[in-house]
Order: sequence, then structure tokens, then C-alpha cells
Amino acid sequence: MCKFGKFLKKFLHLAVGLYALLFAVFYFDLDGKLLFYVVEPFLCKHYDDMPRKDVLKTEYSMDKFPKYEYGK
Amino acid sequence: MEMPKFKMPDLSKVKDIDFKNLDYIKLAKDFWYGKPHGERRIGDLYEEKTGLYKHREWRGVKDTFYYFNMIWLYNYIHMVSDIMRFNGLGVFAKGLWRYRWVGQTYLPVLHWFDRGMEGMRGEALRASAWHYRAMVCETIRQFQRMFAADTKLNGGKRNELWYKTIAHDETVAGAIFYPWRDELDDVPLQMIPYFVTCHVNSHTVLNYIDAMQSIGLPGDPCPMCQAESGIFVLDDYPDYSPVLVTSNEACDGSVGTSIITDWFWDKPLFAMPQPMQFDDPLVQKHCRNEIEQCWKFIEEQLGVPYSEEQLIKYQESFNKLTEFEQEKWEVAAKTDFYPINGVAQALYRIYYSQDGDRPIWHEVDAHVRKILTKCVENKINPFPETRHRVIAWSCAPLYYSNWCTWAYNCWGLNCIINMDSLMFDIVVRTDTHEHMMEDFTIYNEWAPMRRMAVGGYKHIFELWENKERFNCDMVMMYDQVQCKGMDGVHGMFEDEFRNRNIHAIWMPHALPDKRTVSREEIRRLINDYMTTVMHEEPLDPSLLDFDDSMSW
Repeated sequence: MCKFGKFLKKFLHLAVGLYALLFAVFYFDLDGKLLFYVVEPFLCKHYDDMPRKDVLKTEYSMDKFPKYEYGK
Repeated sequence: MEMPKFKMPDLSKVKDIDFKNLDYIKLAKDFWYGKPHGERRIGDLYEEKTGLYKHREWRGVKDTFYYFNMIWLYNYIHMVSDIMRFNGLGVFAKGLWRYRWVGQTYLPVLHWFDRGMEGMRGEALRASAWHYRAMVCETIRQFQRMFAADTKLNGGKRNELWYKTIAHDETVAGAIFYPWRDELDDVPLQMIPYFVTCHVNSHTVLNYIDAMQSIGLPGDPCPMCQAESGIFVLDDYPDYSPVLVTSNEACDGSVGTSIITDWFWDKPLFAMPQPMQFDDPLVQKHCRNEIEQCWKFIEEQLGVPYSEEQLIKYQESFNKLTEFEQEKWEVAAKTDFYPINGVAQALYRIYYSQDGDRPIWHEVDAHVRKILTKCVENKINPFPETRHRVIAWSCAPLYYSNWCTWAYNCWGLNCIINMDSLMFDIVVRTDTHEHMMEDFTIYNEWAPMRRMAVGGYKHIFELWENKERFNCDMVMMYDQVQCKGMDGVHGMFEDEFRNRNIHAIWMPHALPDKRTVSREEIRRLINDYMTTVMHEEPLDPSLLDFDDSMSW
């Protein structure tokens, strides 16, 4: 078998294997389980621990900007 | 709430199967075509509480592989390619790490597809999924634009995109900014961080509601306004624009949100009210004047002149979407060949009409047109188990927008149309400036909720004519328990339903907050009506009662 034929055979095997693997992930909802049990809790912990600006200290200045009224 | 532990599948039941007496022909048929509706037992696929699947549904060979290839794989691949196309993976990674609403929400997006498409087969599956694909694409475009322009992700620097992006309330129609679409871009402030998140992952929004109440707001105002303001309290909005255009739509609660927004956004703000009693001709004049003032504000603040040419170009393009929507409604109203399920119809329509003209809507409409034409020409009924044609009225629960998928699978309730889909229902004339402004003003007044829910009792009672128009025999009456406006007409509806002898199921909910009325409670109310009033048996009894309290 020529080199290209061998490469093609290997490529097809890999492609079929990958397709089967992805189908298993899809069918058994492994993406959902990974996201629910691992990714979301990890990200939520990160967001909970994140230092945040205290927006309540923002000054509410009534006259900082003009009243935008045009040609009434 | 304690997280349920991951369980390995229980294989002990395999021992109990009598392999000798199995009906192998039936098994082969079920494998090839999928089980008939009454035998599916979709509820048995769920894991307790989480709503995850023990395994995804087997829909027969053709539809399972369509779902796997053209929905699951296709959308995962396109989510990545969309991110790369709209400003790149680096921008996305920074946004994901910084903002809860993107990280917690948009990764499990394929589960949102699953919930909306449960039990769907054939053309219903295909047409509905295309609508979801469009919404995902446009969502990615919007948040990527926000992140690319965001000073918080760019070391406090205001880059060129920051100066070229207009921020506006999600209730201000994107159409308002057509005159600048070629030079600038407009991105609604709350549509992605608030509105879309509620549908995809109902947990995310609770952080923002609680944040707003933690600074002293009582729990009973509209939770939409609470959540939108709460995102500010947690400093979770990107800073992506030099200005903001706000609206009083849908109600006084939104005015309250604008005051909080004005405080925390702290930038030039134009408040553009949308009138409530829009039938009055004097109101048209006033509304048009407000729009024109808003345009002057944009010109002054962004330094780019108003372009009527661009307004006409994008409005004419959007008119094509409206015309196709009207064609779809004709099919939905007069035939059984309408292939779009209730949740896809409702979310797609409210999303694109509020957002305005974008290429993805046209692309998806072309796909859907082919499916619709095929259904009509070949007389395909995509929802063959329909027992009742339902019209849904008032504002829907955002955390359970897929109730219609459940209701069809469990009871054969087919939600044909809903109130918010009927807003913005006008093809804007563009032959003269005067005609265009007349229609454009009306278009702006016929916004979601404003068109009917807060447009005066005459308009909220358009339910009766639309029930006839869409040939429906049942009403799903949403009851947003924290909406003071709709609470006021509750009794009038009760009287009318009784007088007109209409089967109506009240569905209480608190818009984004699933803690007030749970999804399980909503299902119980529908189950009760269907058994005690309608005396019907469920199509799929496994869906009657299950716990999905922790589900996305």
C-alpha cells in the first residue's frame, strides 16, 4: 500500500474513533455533567472570591451632565 | 442548597430483562424510527434534581444523528468560530474570567437547546433548532463587542471601539440606531447579561436579584428591574460605551432602573420614554419628537451625523424579516403545517425584533423558509399529537420558557403563538420621510409588553381576536406575580374567560426568579387543570412529576 493509502487509512481510523468518542460524549450527556459538576462550581467560586468595586461609593451628582433637550 | 453527587448508572436492572421474550421487531423499529410519542417516557431520562440526562434522547437513527451532527456538533463548532470571527478567543477568555453572566451562562448553552427540543422530531426539530442557532450567534456578537470595547478588560483604556459603541436599555429597540449602523454599533446593556441568561441558566440571575435586595430594595418590585440593577451593584456590566439611551418601557419599574443606571453608569444619558396610551394622535407627535431628540443626542455625543440613507437601508432589510414573520403566522393560523415549536417561536421573535436588523436573522430565515415550504407543500404535520392549540398571553416565565415543549410532550398542548411575538407588527413604509417617521414611531410604541400588556385595557384584550385569528382553543395566561400592572387586570380576565367560556390556565411566575414559583409548581398547576377540568390523560406520564429544582 502506498504511503498516501496508509496515511488515509490511519486518518480514517482516527476520524471514526473521534466521531465515536464525540457521539458517546453527546449521548451520555458528558458535556452537561462536566459543566454542571466541575466547570460551573469552579467558575462560581472564582466569581464569588473576586474583589469587586463598591459601586455604592459612586457619587450621584445631579448636575454633572446637562439635560439633553433638543428643539422642543 | 446541597449539590447532588454524581452517580454511576444502575446496571442491576439489566439482569431482570427477559431476553428470550423480547419483541425484537418492535425494538428494531424503535431503534430505527424512535419510539412513538406515548411510549417515550422522557421523564425517565432525567437525573434527580439537576435535569441532566442519564443519556440524551434516542429519536430514531435519522433524527438522533441530525441532532448530533447538525445541532450539537454544528453549534459547538459554530460557537467557537463565532467567537473567533467576532474579535477572537483572547477577548472571550478575558470576558469569561471577568463576568459571571458569561461564564456561568453561556458554556451550558447546548443544554438550553436540549430543553427546548425535547421530544421534537423531523421538521419541528430542524426549524426550531435554526432559531436557537441564530440567537446564539447574535448573543456572541453582542458580548464580544462589549468585551472588545470594555475599559475594564483593557486596563482602563478607552479604545476606538469604545468611542464607536452606543449602549442602550434592552427595551429600546435596536432600530433606533439604524442611522449609524455603518459607522457605529449599538449593543443593549441588559439583553445579554440579564435577559438571555435567564433562559439559558436560571441560576445566574439570582446573584443579581439578591445583590439589589442586599442594599435595601424590598423583594416585591419587578424582578427584571431588580436583576438589571443588581448587575450594577456587583459591578458586573462592561464599560463599553460613552453614552446610554434609556427607556421607561415596560413600566415605572424600568424608570426606577434608569435612576440606578444613571447613578452607576455615570455618563451622558438620554431618557427616551415610550408612551403608554399610544392610540392618541397627539402622542404620536410627542413620540416622534422624542426619537428625533434621541438622534440629535447621538449625533452630538458620538460626533457622527445622522444618515437617513442608512435608516432606510436597514429598515427595508428588516421589513423583509417582518414580512416573513407574517407569512409564518399565516401558516400557523390556518394550517397544521407550522414547524416551529412554542419556545423557539417566542424567543426568536422577541430577540430579533428587539435587536433589529442583523445578517444572521436573514440567514436563518432562509433555512426556515425551506422547511416551512416543505411542510406546506407536502402537508407535513410537525406536531401530530396536538390536542389543543394554545395561545399564551402576557409576560412569560424566563426561567421556564421551554414549558411549551414540556406541555406538548406531556399533554399535547401546542403553543401556536404568544403575546410578545405580536408586537412590532408593522412593515414600515419608506417611500417618503413622513410615511417612514409615522410608521417608525408606531413601531417604537409597539414594543414588547408596551404593545399589549401596558398599552391600555383595550390592547391587553386583543387576546380574544388573536385567539380566533390563530384558531386556538385554549389560553395559557401568564401571571407575573410581581407585575403590578397586570395584577390590576387579573379579575377582568377571570370574568372574561368565564363569560366567553374559554379554557384558560393561569401560570403564576416571577419572570426570572425561579424561587418564587418553581417549574415543578407550574407543571403541577397545568397537570391539575388537564386532569380535573379537561379530564384528559397525559401522553407521557413520566413527565407529570419530577424534580428539576437545580436544573439550569
